[in-house]
Amino acid sequence: MNGAATENDSSKTPEVAYEHVSFTYPGRNGNAALSDICLRVEPGERLGIFGPNGAGKSTLLMLTMGLLRGYSGTIRVFGMPPRQASTRRLIGYVPQRSRAERAFPLSVRQVVRMPAQVGLGLGSSMSRGGAERVADAMELVGVEDLADAPIGSLSSGQFQRVMIARSLACRPRILILDEPTVGVDMDGQRRFADLLGLVHDRLELTIMIVTHDLRTIAAGCDRVACLAKNLHAHVSPEGLTPKVLAEIFSHDIAGMFGDVHVDAHRAESCPETCPAHRDRTRNEGSDGDA
Amino acid sequence: MGTLEHLGGAEASGLFWPSLLVGLIVAVLCSPLSVLVVLKRMAFVGQGISHAAFGGIGLTTLLAALGWAAATGGARLPIILAFCIAAGAIVSWLSERGSAGVDTAIGVVLVGSMTLGALLLDIAQRRTGQAGVEWESILFGAIEAVTWNDIWPALGAAAIVLGSLWVLRRPMLFWAFDERASVAFGVPGPAMRLVLMVLLSLTIVVAMKLAGVVLATALLVLPGATALRLSDRLRSVLLLSGAAAVVGVLAGLVISFQSDLPTGAAIVAVLVGLYALSLLAGRAWQQNEADR
Repeated sequence: MNGAATENDSSKTPEVAYEHVSFTYPGRNGNAALSDICLRVEPGERLGIFGPNGAGKSTLLMLTMGLLRGYSGTIRVFGMPPRQASTRRLIGYVPQRSRAERAFPLSVRQVVRMPAQVGLGLGSSMSRGGAERVADAMELVGVEDLADAPIGSLSSGQFQRVMIARSLACRPRILILDEPTVGVDMDGQRRFADLLGLVHDRLELTIMIVTHDLRTIAAGCDRVACLAKNLHAHVSPEGLTPKVLAEIFSHDIAGMFGDVHVDAHRAESCPETCPAHRDRTRNEGSDGDA
Repeated sequence: MGTLEHLGGAEASGLFWPSLLVGLIVAVLCSPLSVLVVLKRMAFVGQGISHAAFGGIGLTTLLAALGWAAATGGARLPIILAFCIAAGAIVSWLSERGSAGVDTAIGVVLVGSMTLGALLLDIAQRRTGQAGVEWESILFGAIEAVTWNDIWPALGAAAIVLGSLWVLRRPMLFWAFDERASVAFGVPGPAMRLVLMVLLSLTIVVAMKLAGVVLATALLVLPGATALRLSDRLRSVLLLSGAAAVVGVLAGLVISFQSDLPTGAAIVAVLVGLYALSLLAGRAWQQNEADR
């Protein structure tokens, strides 16, 4: 997918739109976690948010779900404030696999039903439609045979499928995955990519993957936004050249080897119309299109 | 001497039966809460809240010594409850602000409220000139501290705790299982934490006379921990937790009454024994599974 084309296509309403979003955690002496992020997530795309540790990926994710207050700029999720979108369960969030507690005495079905049951009244049980959605979600990710198994008995790959089914059971409009492939071997990576492809094709969902793992980007993203406090470039996965990577990871490298000078990149693949590129060229006063 | 015969005696009926009723109510309250406390790793939070009760007891005793009679009557439980809830709120606030880890926050609140309680009790004692403060009973519980008057507050607390848990069971379980995801799906996380703190406080205030400030939290940890060793099904875990709590309270009360031991200590000893058994049983069961 061509990044420039999607950036310019204003006829489509973006699923998520960030406009000049900055965020500083309280008590960090003005040391911003995110600075001036402009980004549009287009309908149906698989966008990777890629960056090193501490680049603000989690912060961006929490802002998108309305879990942090006090940011500047504007975030709209399906045209509404993030918290409103998440309470309407339009966002299907799949946490890092380590976050949920596997010791819970719950069956796969009980876990998959959880978000769909949040809004239910006191004594009421799930509607037939709701139960069907739960069954459909388990079938799609291939855990229907495990419906009654205790979650403690699952392999970590199966557990991740359950987490994805849990998000899909609410029929969200966007799926957000947080570091889905941490600690996963090559085989697991491939299976994960297949699963994500299947979910994307069948449900035509927009998908955002937040990761520091290049293999995940390569396996399952149409477009990638590189994040290191500010947005570096949105490129296709093929455009992640060593130069681009060196710049994104420069502060990681600096942490190891001291200050390393990296030439400001002009990645061929970074569309000149993208806001990050525009800002960069403007700031540098070079012969950009600003 | 047959225990039942003994318990039926006139002397016993005023002592044993109120304790038994309150004990059973406490057991029923603690069984679902303790499962949540163990799974949500809040055992130490419970510890902090229950020790905060000691500060509340100190304050009520001092107020009574200053001549406010209601402080040992109708106002006593609300004041202690307020102390517990405030302790829970301070712990949440400190740990959410990130200025201290949860364990540091609890450590500070726990020691702070124990110190406050000790100081206030001492001042009250000097003011009245009586050597009336029964430290052991406050810390470790006593059968004779529980009277028929304690039944109604216990029933009220039971109605509130069980009612709230029933109404909030779905969001509460989701929040306990996966806090961040639950919030992302619209569960009000801070509200869930606050509700759980209040329910824990209520339960501790009811359990306090019987089990004592120090040992009340054992009831909020051991039944759930025991049940979770034995089953990975929610329904069974809740039932087993209830069974462990009831057995612990019943056996503990009988032992305490028979042998004149501190009630809280006797109950906790039985609960610890049950937990040890569950460890052995759980290991044997796992071995059995592995052999199959």
